[in-house]
Amino acid sequence: MTCSEVERVLPEFLDRAPDDSFPDAVHQAEFETHVKSCLACADLVADLKLISSAARQMVESEEPAPRVWVRIAAELRAEGIIRDPVPTPARPALVPTAPRRRWSAVWLAPVAAALLAAGAYVVSHKPVAQVVTQQVSPVQVSPVQVAPLQEATPGGAASPVTGANVVTPAPETAHAQRSEARTNSVRPNPTKPANPEVAAAHAVAPSPSVEDQQFLSVVSTLAPSVRATYESQLQAVNADIRETQAYVNRNPRDADARQHLMDAYQEKALLYQIAMDRIQ
Amino acid sequence: MTDPKQRITEAEAIEQAKQGDEAAFELLYQLHKRRVYSLCLRMVSNPAQAEDLAQEAFLQLFRKIGTFRGESAFSTWLHRMTVNVVLMQLRRKGLPVVSLEETLESEDETPRKEFGTRDVRLTGSIDRLQLQRAIDKLPPGYRTVFVLHDVEGFEHNEIAELVGCSIGNSKSQLHKARLKLRDYLKFMRAEKAKTG
Ligand SMILES: [Zn+2]
Repeated sequence: MTCSEVERVLPEFLDRAPDDSFPDAVHQAEFETHVKSCLACADLVADLKLISSAARQMVESEEPAPRVWVRIAAELRAEGIIRDPVPTPARPALVPTAPRRRWSAVWLAPVAAALLAAGAYVVSHKPVAQVVTQQVSPVQVSPVQVAPLQEATPGGAASPVTGANVVTPAPETAHAQRSEARTNSVRPNPTKPANPEVAAAHAVAPSPSVEDQQFLSVVSTLAPSVRATYESQLQAVNADIRETQAYVNRNPRDADARQHLMDAYQEKALLYQIAMDRIQ
Repeated sequence: MTDPKQRITEAEAIEQAKQGDEAAFELLYQLHKRRVYSLCLRMVSNPAQAEDLAQEAFLQLFRKIGTFRGESAFSTWLHRMTVNVVLMQLRRKGLPVVSLEETLESEDETPRKEFGTRDVRLTGSIDRLQLQRAIDKLPPGYRTVFVLHDVEGFEHNEIAELVGCSIGNSKSQLHKARLKLRDYLKFMRAEKAKTG
């Protein structure tokens, strides 16, 4: 067998099952004899096997950004495929069967759910209601800034929720080092007391996203002191998201930081949820 | 994630998802997101597009979850659906799903050049990023077959059905894809050696 004959039968040789043999044994013997004695063909066979086995390792190698689930969940909710476990007649305004586009608190449900979903599996879906009610007043989120969550409603590809892309760098200077250090540390439990650095982060908050404006307009109906609490909490969690996002952009392989980012989204979801319960 | 609350099985999650349970949908997503997203990314080489495609694949699946009766594995169903979503997208963009070059030269028996022993050798291991870069350089038709067969583990008859080509076509495209990848990888190694 010549080199080019080897190459011609090579695909058959490479892709046969381990216990399969060539259609005819003579062929196989000739093939193997040639490959044993020809360095070039031996290399070729080894390289092609190597390429196939390296390819097999790629099958689950990539992790999608959290926003992918955020968008899926928002869409499923908007289409009524995800349904609330128990219909709650007490809060008809929040059941997302009302006309979707009309502004009301309706948007809060999908957005909060989607944000919550972005937090991966940290909090399972049933305990949320309890957590929320316990936390209404003392919720404290860590300092820091916003990755705007755009259009968490249908539209799929046309309306990306850009966690990563829209981020403006966090106001740097003194914050930068702190944020890098923070993302490597264990995240504080949301029920812990307020972080004194919150105020510092607030001074430099960017203009709010559409969803945030809607959120703010919902809470504006509440008593001034309560409203102020929501506003500062929203700023704080947005700051956290933005600063962490900036860090993740610079260090995309830092799993802790990504986890932290998801936690921050989860906190934001809780905040929406709390507001939702509050305005009933 | 690290400690997914997988107290329920996939089968149970499917049943709960049929009832509209969000946590069940999310569990199904978490279980399969890496595989689906990786497949999309391999096929289109563009993270933003891959995200859109993964989203679309899951949405199509979840919309039809009520019809899932477990006659085939859930993952099989999902992966085939993902491939269809991606191929649909490629076709919509006018990219050849089956390599044109292949159909034109299928009878072409030009012997390849002998591989000289002076060639750079790939022995050892292949860096994943390098392999990804090489796959990105493949013409779309070759890339499709290579990804489906060597990365995803589809059989040639399945690929033929999904892509709409003959089994022989799938086999020969796979072989040519591997040969091209080998050349690209060798070239990359040689370049790397030159630049230190
Ligand atoms: Zn030879």
